[in-house]
Amino acid sequence: MDSIVIHSLKKTYGKGQPPAVDIRGDLCISKGELFGIIGPDGAGKTTLFRMLATLVSPDSGTAVLEGYDVMADYRKIRTILGYMPGRFSLYSDLSVRENLEFFASVFGKDLESNYGLIENIYCRLKPFERRKAGKLSGGMKQKLALCCSLIHSPSILFLDEPTTGVDPSSRRELWENLAQLKASGMTIVVSTAYMDEACRCDRVGMMKSGRFLTVDSPERIISGFDRRLVSVKSDEMFRLLHDLRGIGDVDRCYTFGETHHLTLKPGSRMTVREIGSVLAGKYGHKGVSVAETDATLEDCYMNLEEKL
Amino acid sequence: MSTFGYLFIKELKQFRANPFMPVVLVLLPVLLMLLVPLAANMEVKDVRLAIVDRDRSTLSGRLTDKISRSGFFVFTSYEDTYEAAMEELGKGNTDIILEIPAGMEADMGKGESVEIFIAANAVNNTKGSMGGGYLTSIVSDFSDEIMQSGGFASHQPLKIVPQFRYNPHLEYKLFMVPALMIVVIILVGGFFPTMSIVSEKESGTIEQMNVSPVRKRDFILSKVVFYGILGLFAFTLAILIAHFVYGLASHGGLIEIYVSAVIFLVFMGGFGLIISNYSETMLQAVFLMLFFVLIFMLMSGIFTPVSSMETWSQYVTYILPTRYFVNILRAVCLKGSHFADLTFDFVMLSVFAVVINAAAVITYKKQN
Repeated sequence: MDSIVIHSLKKTYGKGQPPAVDIRGDLCISKGELFGIIGPDGAGKTTLFRMLATLVSPDSGTAVLEGYDVMADYRKIRTILGYMPGRFSLYSDLSVRENLEFFASVFGKDLESNYGLIENIYCRLKPFERRKAGKLSGGMKQKLALCCSLIHSPSILFLDEPTTGVDPSSRRELWENLAQLKASGMTIVVSTAYMDEACRCDRVGMMKSGRFLTVDSPERIISGFDRRLVSVKSDEMFRLLHDLRGIGDVDRCYTFGETHHLTLKPGSRMTVREIGSVLAGKYGHKGVSVAETDATLEDCYMNLEEKL
Repeated sequence: MSTFGYLFIKELKQFRANPFMPVVLVLLPVLLMLLVPLAANMEVKDVRLAIVDRDRSTLSGRLTDKISRSGFFVFTSYEDTYEAAMEELGKGNTDIILEIPAGMEADMGKGESVEIFIAANAVNNTKGSMGGGYLTSIVSDFSDEIMQSGGFASHQPLKIVPQFRYNPHLEYKLFMVPALMIVVIILVGGFFPTMSIVSEKESGTIEQMNVSPVRKRDFILSKVVFYGILGLFAFTLAILIAHFVYGLASHGGLIEIYVSAVIFLVFMGGFGLIISNYSETMLQAVFLMLFFVLIFMLMSGIFTPVSSMETWSQYVTYILPTRYFVNILRAVCLKGSHFADLTFDFVMLSVFAVVINAAAVITYKKQN
C-alpha cells in the first residue's frame, strides 16, 4: 500500500525565479518504507518537505499522504504527521520535560500512553529532564526534537537533515532508532547530505534543482554505474586535480576523501598504468598511485549531477 | 484540557522561565510612573531674575517686593546698567531682566504712563515665555494697585481673575500621569505579544505549531489574552502609583478606566499582530512598532495638547485611537466623568479595536 503519493509537484518562490521544486511524473512511497532524499544545498529538499507537511501550498500538482490530500485535508494530515525540521525548533526556554508534555498535549495525547515509542530515545535524555532545552548539546537537542515529533505516534515521519551537525555516535544511534521505527510500520522520509547514511535507506531519491534525477534502491543505483572509475593519489593533491583535468580521456574528476576519483570518457581504452606514467612523466608527480575502484553512492551522485 | 488552556499555560511557563521579562513587567510601570513626572516637569519655578533699578524709589522697592513675594522668581543680581544685566543673561546666569526706568515714581505721581522693560532669554522656551508672562501679569497687577490706592481713575475697571478648573494649580504632573499610564499599556500590551510572536517565528517554533493540529486562532488568542492580562497588571500598578503617590483618580470611575483599558489593550493586541504578520525578524518588528508607537504618543495629545497643534494635524488625531483613550483617562481622572459623558470616545475606541482586529485576521490569513 502506498503511504505517500506525489503527482508532479511544483513550487516557485517569486516571479522570474527558477522553481524550487519541480517534480514531474509520479513518486510513490509505500507504507513502512525508509526513503532517503539526497541532494546538494538548494536542491529543493526542504521545500518538498514543507509542501508535504502542509506548511507551503504547491503551485500545481498534488500529493496524498495516507489517503489525505495535502491541500484539501491538511487538518487531517497534521494529526498523523511527525515533522522534524533541519533547524532546532523547540521552546528553548522550556525544560526537556515541559517541551515533551507540551507537544503531547498539542496533539491531544498524554505522555504516558505514548511513552513506549520514544522510550529508547528518551532514556538518554532522562538525566537532563529538568534542563532547559536551549542548554542541551547538539545531539541531545536532536534527540529531544525526535521525541517531540514522535510523541503522538505519527504514521508518517519527515526528518529534514537530522544528522547535520551531530557527532558520529549520535548519528549511528539515530539511524538505529529509525530502523526500529520502520519496523513498527512507520513510513519515514529523511533527507541527508551524508552518502554513507543514504545506503541505509530502502530507496533513495537523488534531487537536484527541484527534480528527482533518479529514484531507486542504493544497491541498484550503484550497480547501474556504467563508467570506469579510477582512484588517484600523489604527493601534491591540489596540483594533481588540475593536471588530471588536462588529460584528454578524463571525463570528470573530483576529490573523494584522501584521493581523487575520476571517470573515464565512454569508450576510452586508457589503462591505469598509462594514467600513472602520464602523471609521473609529463607532469612530474611523485608518489603516484592509481587504481581502479568500485563506485559508491557518492560517485553515482556526482555523475548523475553531471548528466543534467 | 482545551487547546487554549495548554497554550496559555505554555505562555505562562515561558514567561516565568525568562529571567528578564517578569522584572521588566514590574519595573517598567514603577520607574516610568515615579521618575518621569518628577523629571519631565513643565512647571516654571525659580525663574532667575536680574533687576536693573534706576529709580531706587519707594515705589520701585514695592514692585520688586511684590515680585519676590509671588514665589516664582529668585533674584540673582541687582545691576546698575542694562548692559551689565545683559552680560549676566548672556552668561546664562539669569533668565529674565526687569528694567525699571529712572524717575518712575515721579512720573507716576504726575499721572504719566511709565514703560517697564522686560527682556527674557528664550533659549529655554517655556521658562522664558512663562516667566515673562508671570512677570507681566505681576507688573500690570501692581499698576492697578497704585492706580486705585492713588485715587486715580482705573484704566481697567474689569479685572480678569483666571481660575483653572480640575487642575487648579496647573500642575503638569496631573496632566502627565494619565499619559504615562497610557505609555505603560502601549509598551506592555503592544510590544510584548508582538515580540513573543516574532520570536516564535525566528526560532521556528511557529512552524512546529503549524504542522500540529493547533488552530492558528487559538495560538494567537492565547498570546493576546496572556499579554492582555499582563498589560492589565502593569496598568493596575500604574493606577496604584497614580493614586497613592500623585493622589490621582480620587473621583472614582475605576470601571470607566478599566473598560477603556481593556478596549485599548484589544486594539494594541490586534495592532501588534498586524506588525508581526509583516515582520520576519525581531529587528523589523521593533522598528515598525516603534514608528507607530511614536506617532501614537506624540501626535494624539498624550504629551502636548491637541488644541495647540496645527489644524491639519488636529484632524489626523481623529484616526489615532490613543486620542480617545487619553481623553477618557484624563476626563475620568481629573473631572470624574462617566460613560454618558464619554460615549463618543468609547464608541470610537471600540470601533478602532474591532477594525484593527479584523484587519489583523485578514492579513494573517493572507500571509499563510
